[in-house]
Amino acid sequence: MDELDALRGMRTALAQEEDADRLALRVDWRARPERPARLRRRSFTVPAVGLVATASVAAGALVVVSVAAEDERPANVSASPGGNALLVAAANAERAPGGRYWHTRTRSGEIYAVGDSRAHHYKVDSRQGTETWTDRNGSARTAHVELADVPLTAEDRRKWQAAGSPEWVKIPNPEGGSEQALLDMRTESEGRDGWRPGEDDYLGMTRQRIAALPTRPDALLSDLLGLKGAWRAASSSTKKEPIGALRGEERIRALTDVAGMLLSTAPAPPKVRAAAFRMLADLPGVRAEGPAADPMGRPGTVVSLPLVTTVPLGLYTAPKQLGTYRRQWIIDPGNGRLLAIRDLVAKPPRGSRPLPPGDRGQSRRLEARDMPDRFHRPGELADYTVYETTEWTDRSPS
Amino acid sequence: MARAVSRVARPGGPGAGAAALDDPGLVAASLDDPEAFGELFRRHAPRLHAYVRRRLGSTLAEDVVAETFAVAFRERRRFDGRSAFGAWLWGIAAKQIARHHRQETRMYRAFAKSAVDPAEDGVAELASDRAAAAAHGPRLARALASLKPKDRDALLLLAWGEMSYAEIAATLDLPLGTVKAKIHRARTKLRAALPEEDDHG
Repeated sequence: MDELDALRGMRTALAQEEDADRLALRVDWRARPERPARLRRRSFTVPAVGLVATASVAAGALVVVSVAAEDERPANVSASPGGNALLVAAANAERAPGGRYWHTRTRSGEIYAVGDSRAHHYKVDSRQGTETWTDRNGSARTAHVELADVPLTAEDRRKWQAAGSPEWVKIPNPEGGSEQALLDMRTESEGRDGWRPGEDDYLGMTRQRIAALPTRPDALLSDLLGLKGAWRAASSSTKKEPIGALRGEERIRALTDVAGMLLSTAPAPPKVRAAAFRMLADLPGVRAEGPAADPMGRPGTVVSLPLVTTVPLGLYTAPKQLGTYRRQWIIDPGNGRLLAIRDLVAKPPRGSRPLPPGDRGQSRRLEARDMPDRFHRPGELADYTVYETTEWTDRSPS
Repeated sequence: MARAVSRVARPGGPGAGAAALDDPGLVAASLDDPEAFGELFRRHAPRLHAYVRRRLGSTLAEDVVAETFAVAFRERRRFDGRSAFGAWLWGIAAKQIARHHRQETRMYRAFAKSAVDPAEDGVAELASDRAAAAAHGPRLARALASLKPKDRDALLLLAWGEMSYAEIAATLDLPLGTVKAKIHRARTKLRAALPEEDDHG
């Protein structure tokens, strides 16, 4: 018997869930007196992107390579420079095959420096994945996929091996604190967790709403401008607001995040995907650049977003990084697919910044010396999400 | 990112329309209408209570669950919407459980010594449970008693909380790799405590 199974067989009589109403009668949490002597905390406000947005990656400095894509299929729309690859992708996305199931496999990685100095360190790609199956009736199941962490390049692998190929690699905890952080390099820890019901929430949209989204880019844009969510990178308020309430870079960031979701994990109809590509081509500052391989080695075209920070969207009281980043998509225009989204370091982390107390009240501080990207140079990979599979298929869920 | 607790929205609860809101929406609504928090209790308390009871026994469990929801309610303005509400709530519960660390350990030790589990006092056991407990319970209890508090937290969230590594990391506010290391260490100890002839299966 596996030790975990043995443990699961212990005290099972205590594990029976009780009815919520009966429990509510007995457990009177409202009547609990407040324990005294809790320190009063300063109220905390952070300007949303102000902290990081000042260092702009000058858009003009990017070399814009217009990808003509004649070898793909002809784009039948004349586009602004750089927009071609997106429009080609739109035309091809529209022709994607249908199927009984919507199947996605995604993998994401964060790149951590291991070592004490720029001269003596190697980089490790800390990975995890998700697989989701959704049927036509909208019921979904999803599973977390454990992946071993791996050295990023062949050179990194050589250095890791020279260090004795440790199974557990120590790194500073990016959020400070006394807990040491570790990366798991063991391949035996790989595997898929059990299936659980998938949630019907795609940045605030249900599958039903996604299926009914407009298929013209301007109509899609105005629909999405009304989409409410916690879009700001950092905010102390739980209030949701429509994307249309955002201005400038914040609006672009929210729109490109929603578009990225529609073009990857969401069960969006082909025409909606095509509209998302076209909407993106019209956003100011979004440009197609040269060819590049995605983190799985698949060839594609880089699309740069005009963003200098990639602090994740959503409610959070402060950004959790000290560098700035620029976000790129890698698309496959020929198949009308979004292959990957990656963040490259624009300005490596410097200095330090207090974090608001954690959810559990612990004090925290960000320090450049603890950051995963402390030895990164500008332009190097900080993190990525790769969309291994995003397809309608008749193949039965495995 | 982690989603900790599958939730069941129930129609017709107190607070009109409360069941239609998602968890962060309920937290936000509860700032103006404290009753909205009651729906969060209905969604999350049964599973949390079962987990806490399995660790601390029936008597302490109600106290810990009440304190967890009381803290969550008081601190709801600070709810970090980036993590799932369930992860946040279970993180608060982990802290409350930690306050009873010595009592928890005492119960494991007593079980290991006497083969009678004090946590199950007054709870009707299934016959199959009794058989399994006779076989492994005291050994497992001894190993559980020897674990470091955070290692035990991580392991039991996996085995009894049915969470994924990512969810455990969000709940305990630890890096994913650290959680894996803790569980690896804890499992090794448990494996060593089980009889040899039981191979992996």
